[in-house]
Amino acid sequence: MLSTIFLNKILIILLMYVKAIPENCSGCMVCETVCTMEHFGVINRYKSGIRIERKSVTEDIPHVCSQGNECNYECIAACKFDAIEKGDDGIVRVIEEKCVGCRMCELACPLNAIHIHEKMAYKCDLCGGEPKCVKYCSQNALQLVEG
Amino acid sequence: MYVENGCYGGKILFIDLEKEEGKRQSIGDSFALKYLGGDGFGAYFMNKYMDPSIDAFSPDNIIVIAPGLLTGTIFPTAGKVAFFSKSPLTGRWAEAFSGGSIGFILKQAGYDAVIIKGKAKKLSYLVIKDDEIVIKDASHLAGLTTRETAEIIKKDEGKQFKEFSVASIGPAGEKLVKFASIDSDERQFGRAGIGAVMGSKNLKAIAVYGSKDIKVAKPDKMYELFKQYYTRMINHPSFQDDGKYGTGEFLEWMNSQKGTFPTRNWREGVFEDRKKIDPYYWAPRYVIKNKACVQCVKPCGKAFVLKGKYDGMLDGVEYETLFALGGNCGVGDIEAVAKANELCDLYGMDTISTGGVIGFVMDLYENGLLSKEDIGVDAKFGNGDAMLELIEKIAKREGIGDIMAEGVAAMATKLGGDAAKYAVHVGKMEPPAYDVRGIKGMALAFMTSPRGACHLRSAAYALELTGKFWKYESVDRLSSKNKGQEIADMENFMAIYDALGVCKFSRGIFLLNFYDALDAAIGRGFSEDELLKIGERIHNLKHIFNIKAGWKREDVKLPEKFRVPIPEGPSKGSYVSKEEEKEMLDNYFKARGWDKKGVPKKEKLEELEIEEFME
Repeated sequence: MLSTIFLNKILIILLMYVKAIPENCSGCMVCETVCTMEHFGVINRYKSGIRIERKSVTEDIPHVCSQGNECNYECIAACKFDAIEKGDDGIVRVIEEKCVGCRMCELACPLNAIHIHEKMAYKCDLCGGEPKCVKYCSQNALQLVEG
Repeated sequence: MYVENGCYGGKILFIDLEKEEGKRQSIGDSFALKYLGGDGFGAYFMNKYMDPSIDAFSPDNIIVIAPGLLTGTIFPTAGKVAFFSKSPLTGRWAEAFSGGSIGFILKQAGYDAVIIKGKAKKLSYLVIKDDEIVIKDASHLAGLTTRETAEIIKKDEGKQFKEFSVASIGPAGEKLVKFASIDSDERQFGRAGIGAVMGSKNLKAIAVYGSKDIKVAKPDKMYELFKQYYTRMINHPSFQDDGKYGTGEFLEWMNSQKGTFPTRNWREGVFEDRKKIDPYYWAPRYVIKNKACVQCVKPCGKAFVLKGKYDGMLDGVEYETLFALGGNCGVGDIEAVAKANELCDLYGMDTISTGGVIGFVMDLYENGLLSKEDIGVDAKFGNGDAMLELIEKIAKREGIGDIMAEGVAAMATKLGGDAAKYAVHVGKMEPPAYDVRGIKGMALAFMTSPRGACHLRSAAYALELTGKFWKYESVDRLSSKNKGQEIADMENFMAIYDALGVCKFSRGIFLLNFYDALDAAIGRGFSEDELLKIGERIHNLKHIFNIKAGWKREDVKLPEKFRVPIPEGPSKGSYVSKEEEKEMLDNYFKARGWDKKGVPKKEKLEELEIEEFME
């Protein structure tokens, strides 16, 4: 019984990713600040795993990793240093010790969801399964969805 | 230690456009604790680094840009940044706030303020990229709108996802329209004509990129505070209302229930076509989504899309603009109002002053003081196309637009004769959307605001109209009694919001309970009394600037229209008499510890530790 619950949990995490609904996004950037507070205890939009492109009056576009659900792991393929890997939990992560900040992943990503800042790649790690950007988006522009 | 460990950038940047150089200076703890940031830094630098008596278009006039203390932190609704200068419209203190991203990004670049002086040799734009400062040629941007300018600079300067935050002026700023505004992310630093000061300096835009971390002294505490306030805010009733209808949400209340919505150049206090410009009507029809300032969890901005007779898109229409380009011009067509709003934003003009001066011209036309030949259009109240035409004329300074671009006060002087009777301004500033004949505390606030008629320096309108806020329990809006202390208190209160960079629409939630937020942000909490003292210091410093710029009590007066009783509606019969005006001012000066002429007494300045500025 216990193991079934545990297995279900793993399965759910496996399939989850943050999906953006740009039509709802107000461009407030709270997701960015929450992301870097959660991970680093500071504010720096260039370290955020989610980025808001404030394009025009009518377009605010969140860019965030789909954990392979809407891409073909181009970042992993592009990395010559094996610095990006997909974990057993389905989350694609950067291995800090291996990353040299060469930008190949940033150039390869079709979703604009991985970025280099000061020689280090930053991307969404789903906060381990409970993404804070989704939790604190007041406009329902971000959803945790199944792949 | 507070500056070093806290959310300060730690540096002030001085830019000399003439010498094309930038210098940095560190700020210290005692300075930071005395003035906090934002409004406080602006008030200090404006007194410290310029002579308030010079002409606003002199190269020696300065522009100070200062993000609030909490701007750039995760604190909810703390995203505001201010521009300060000497106003070409009023000849006095100028300040304008907005929640565009430029404040937050300036903090990431490590700056708590930027001070700009001098005049560039040719049209230029300023690039601040962390420690790198460059002044670039902007001749290719001449005459372009605020939106086009920002788009081009973002494309030329930024790489994908290293985007610059841009503040730009439009053609009106270049043409020195006295109420020209500055745009950042489609939100405006609207009032008092600082866009024209930028134009006079040949400064088309400022582009900022910052890559540094913004720390706070106690990150865990700050993050916890965010979580608590976030939950409170999204469960607050105003979350739904602001979310759906924006700042115009209370239009029906102001217009129909209180009768204090200035209409047709302040003839009336009730606009009969209110329903046609009410967001309850237009939001479901024209708004495609909400738009937010940086770090806002309850956005009042609206992405308004126009298709049909007029095409366009804008972040709006805000309450003040529904008045200025709606009721005040008698225009009950929301499409014309929204288009006028967009034109003002693109050309870079304050909507309140623009609507003020157009309403003035319409009034003069209907009363036979200006002819159709003088104006060039049939400027009857309610003619939306005439309003749009006049906006074009002002922005380009064509025909009558050339004198309209000087503002209501200067235009009335130039026209002479009876024009002054129809001129509505306080301290040469066109007033916002509160018919103060029925909100007497606000009549006083219009007179005491350092930038001329202003609703936000005190934000006492809600207190006056509901009777309750903060420590006040039963305020009577139709009485002129005991208004001095109330308005002084509210000004001190609001100066703190401007110093911290927190949105005033959050005032009901936070009041002055910033002890924990400031402890988390910089490692030192401030009690309400301590904050009020700082707010009082800031307000006094702005007033000192004005005294040095030539402010005199004799010049402070309300327009003749405020002496005429409101003709109809719930506030029918109410007006502000000369006696009431004097009574309120006397009462205010006394509450402020100023003498009868409105000059701060020496003891007051010593108590506030700002006596050095009055010597």
